Order: sequence, then structure tokens, then C-alpha cells
Amino acid sequence: MLEVENLHVHYGGIHALKGVNITVEKGEIVTIIGANGAGKSTLLNTLSGIVRSSEGRITFDGSPLPTAPHRIVKAGICQVPEGRLVFANLTVEDNLMLGAYLRRDAPSIKRDLERVYDLFPRLKERRKQMAGTLSGGEQQMLAIGRGLMSDPVLMLLDEPSLGLAPILVEAIYEVIEGIRRIGKTLLLVEQNAYKALSTADRAYVLEQGRIVKSGRAVDLIQDQTIQESYLGVKK
Amino acid sequence: MDQLLQQFINGLSIGSVYALMAVGYSLVYSIMNFSNFAHGGIIMLGSYFGFFLLTLFKLPFSAAFLGAALGASVLAVLVERIAYKPLRMRNAPFLYFIISAMGASMFIENFVIATIGPTFRTYPAVFSRSPFQVGPLFVGRLDTMIFVTSAVCLLLLVYFIDHTKMGKAIRATAFNARAAALMGINTDMIVILVFAIGGLLAGIAGVLFGMKYTVYPQMGAITIKSFIAAVFGGLGSIPGAVLGSLVLGVVETLVSGYFSSQFRDLISFSLLIVILVFRPIGLMGKPAEEKA
Ligand SMILES: Nc1ncnc2c1ncn2[C@@H]1O[C@H](COP(=O)(O)OP(=O)(O)O)[C@@H](O)[C@H]1O
Ligand SMILES: [Mg+2]
Repeated sequence: MLEVENLHVHYGGIHALKGVNITVEKGEIVTIIGANGAGKSTLLNTLSGIVRSSEGRITFDGSPLPTAPHRIVKAGICQVPEGRLVFANLTVEDNLMLGAYLRRDAPSIKRDLERVYDLFPRLKERRKQMAGTLSGGEQQMLAIGRGLMSDPVLMLLDEPSLGLAPILVEAIYEVIEGIRRIGKTLLLVEQNAYKALSTADRAYVLEQGRIVKSGRAVDLIQDQTIQESYLGVKK
Repeated sequence: MDQLLQQFINGLSIGSVYALMAVGYSLVYSIMNFSNFAHGGIIMLGSYFGFFLLTLFKLPFSAAFLGAALGASVLAVLVERIAYKPLRMRNAPFLYFIISAMGASMFIENFVIATIGPTFRTYPAVFSRSPFQVGPLFVGRLDTMIFVTSAVCLLLLVYFIDHTKMGKAIRATAFNARAAALMGINTDMIVILVFAIGGLLAGIAGVLFGMKYTVYPQMGAITIKSFIAAVFGGLGSIPGAVLGSLVLGVVETLVSGYFSSQFRDLISFSLLIVILVFRPIGLMGKPAEEKA
């Protein structure tokens, strides 16, 4: 469904992505793991049209991906950004409705809003509250819910577990499983590899802008070098 | 006491025009984080549009008013496309925007001097100069019209920003343009929208101001007052800009009325400095960390 071929990204003199190739098939959860600064967010931001590539090709559903961010959302790709970036100056419900910004069909928007509230009852309780007053975990739920409101085909998640307590990480990953069950495809980026590898079908390892390893997640979780570098297993 | 109340009403009237100008500054600032100093030029052009539509084209007042507002709106967007968009596309530093804004402002002013001429012009009397009486107070017809028009425009603006989908998209973009783009909001369109609204209100303010005083190429300089008001209320905050403007209008009128009009600007600028020293974010501004 998504094919990225030989993708290069430069920030001025910094060569952040150096020929990345990945594919994501419909219905999969694919994860990209990598240390801080490896280029994970750069990859997702390029897919979302926020960052321009200097070389390479991105194909989505058989045709070239549009370049403008709003066209990409329209095409069915949405990103839940690192650091959540909820609109703190708007209410929880306004945040969710902005997720549906490009949609016109009021009844189906309403149905999806109810679905998000079912998934996150906490958000329903606080729907009139300013998003800035939510806790970190609630903001992450709001960011995911807001992404779902665009009714995406492919959802890009940038470090959803960042800075959350273990119990909340569990909750977020249950939601991720739930999102797959409603038929969405997910590309999940994580520094915290263990949870990502145990949830995903396939995985890529990104190091300094290059994919250095790829395979089934169940295999990579057993891989010795990955265990040492990303899972904190000592030799 | 009656005289104080009278001055107070005059102050509200002039303050409401400052508010129309100040919200234009605030809207642009909230999205782009710089003060659009070309805004004064747009107000002046709006004033000239209104003047010529009334005198040369002999349009009825309401049509001239609308024409001036739309003309100013189109020009405000044009300034953005020419002077700021290329900088936005290159993520240019903030200083470049300020310089570009000053350049645009000087261009507009000198263009008007060169083509229309430097003379002061007086709007034809659309409203009778004789005031009407409410109890012991004499209220000017023009002042009342100015206040009511400004208040209606401002209420419509607040409704638009707070309750419509577009308005919420503007607030989302102001909070974080990148996150807004990720939601499918075309942020370039939001910039156009914000300049169009700011220009519309600038055109209206220009006509109101021209009717109360006169029209001349340097009249854009009065926006320094609305800029003070916007800073006073908290740059980027619309209620702040309105509140700041009304306070400034009333303070100015009281100072001119009870001391002397020579002290008027001295007091306004002192007020600005005091605010910047003690409360840099203004009455209702957002703390820096919230702006991100
Ligand atoms: N806006 C930017 N300007 C310049 N360099 C950047 C920018 N964003 C990221 N980088 C650099 O690109 C590299 C990859 O960053 P990033 O994609 O954020 O990594 P990750 O998300 O894996 O932590 C890093 O070296 C980082 O410093
Ligand atoms: Mg990152």
C-alpha cells in the first residue's frame, strides 16, 4: 500500500535520511525502531509532507503521494506527531473535530466521534475541557483520537509511548491493537523497542538515516544485536 | 460628572476604531509571530477607497463602505503574497519579515503620495454633525455610528473565531501550524484568510477614521496607537486587543479633555513602556511557552 524508495532528506548540510526503502502492506502494523536522532520523525514528516525530500519516490495505493500536507491527509494518511501537539487552546471536542477537518459527511463524523469516545471514555468526560489541562497520557489519547477522526487508511504514530508511565504505555498499545482491528494500517515509530516489536508484524531498524535491518518482528525481537542495542539485554 | 461621561463615550468611540485596527495586528501576529507594520498602509488605502467611491463615483454610503472594505482586504492579501509569502516559503528569520513589512509600508505610502498627492482630504458629510441628546448627554451621531459599526464588526469576528470551523482552524494554526497541517488544514489558506479579515476590518477602520478626521497619505501612522493597544491587551489575543484599544481610547480622551491634548501621546507611549516593563505579555496575552 505504501512504498518508499531510496528516500533522501537534507536539512541544510545535515543528511538526515540516506536512501531509505520501506513498504507497508494493508492491514499491517509495521514499526521502525531507532535511537534518538536516527531520523524516525524525519521519515514520518516526509510522508506527511511537512518535510521535503531531496531524492526518492513515495507511492501510496499505486500512485505518487501528493506533496501538500492537506492533500496527503485527504489521500488517507494521518500522523499522530511526537510530543502529541494537541491544540491546548481548544477544547477536547474541538480538537477531535479538527481531526475531521477535511470531512464533510456529518453523520459519519458523528459516528466516528462516538467511536473515539468509546475507545477513550476519559475524553468523553472531559470533552468540554481545554486540551491543555489534560495529563500527558490523556493528551496522547486525544492525539490518537484526533488522528482517528480523519478516518485514515494509514496512521503514522511517532513515539506514542514517549514519557508515559508503564501502565499508560500498556493502555496506549491496547488502543493500537484496537485500531488495527477496525481495519486501519499502522506505521509505528518507537525508541522504546520492546513494546513496538511485540505488537508489530514487521519491523525496520533505522540507524543514522539508514535502514540497517528489517524482518518479522518476532524474529527481530530474538536478534542478538537488537537485544543488545535496543532491548537493554546484556551479553 | 456629565462631562466625564461624555468624554468616556467619545473615548469608547475612538477606542473602538483602534480595536478594529488592533485585531488585524493581533490576528496576523497570532499566526505568523510578527507585527505586520504594513497594516497602517492598508487602513490608509481603505480610507482613500471610501473617499473616492463617495466623491468620484458618487456611490451611496453603504456601497462605498463595502467597496472600501473589500478593496482593502484584497490589497492586504496582495501584500502578503508579495512581501511575506516568499519569506515564509524559505522559513526566513523573523527580522526579515519586519524589514519586508516596513518596506511594504513605505512603498504604499509613497505610492499614494506620488499618484494621489500629499494633500489632506475631507470626507463629504454623510452624517449630520449635530449631536442628539440622551438625558443630560449630547452624543455625536458620527461617534455613535462609529461605535456601533465597530462593535458589530468585532462581535461578528469573535463569533467567527470562537464558533465556526474556519475560526477554530485559525486558532489551531495559531497554536501550532505544523500540527494544524497534519490535521489537513491548508495553513497557506489560513494565512490568506487572516490577511483578508485583517484587511476587511482595516478598510472599515480607514473609512470610519477618515470620516471622523481627514484622509492623508501618512494616516497609517495612527496604527501605532492600535499597535500599542494590541501590545497592551496582549499581542495575539483578540479580546486583549479590543480591551487594550478601548482603554487606550478612553485614557487618551480623558487626558486631552482634562489636561491637554499635547500630553495625549506622551501618556499613551508611557503606558506602552510601563506595560512592557511590568507585564510583557499584556493584559490577556498568552505566556511564551504556550505559543511554542
Ligand atoms: N528541523 C531540523 N533542522 C535541522 N536538523 C534537523 C531537524 N530535524 C531533525 N534534524 C536532524 O535530523 C536528524 C534526525 O532527526 P529526527 O528525525 O528528529 O530523529 P528521531 O525522530 O529518530 O529522533 C538529527 O540529526 C536531527 O538533529
Ligand atoms: Mg523523533
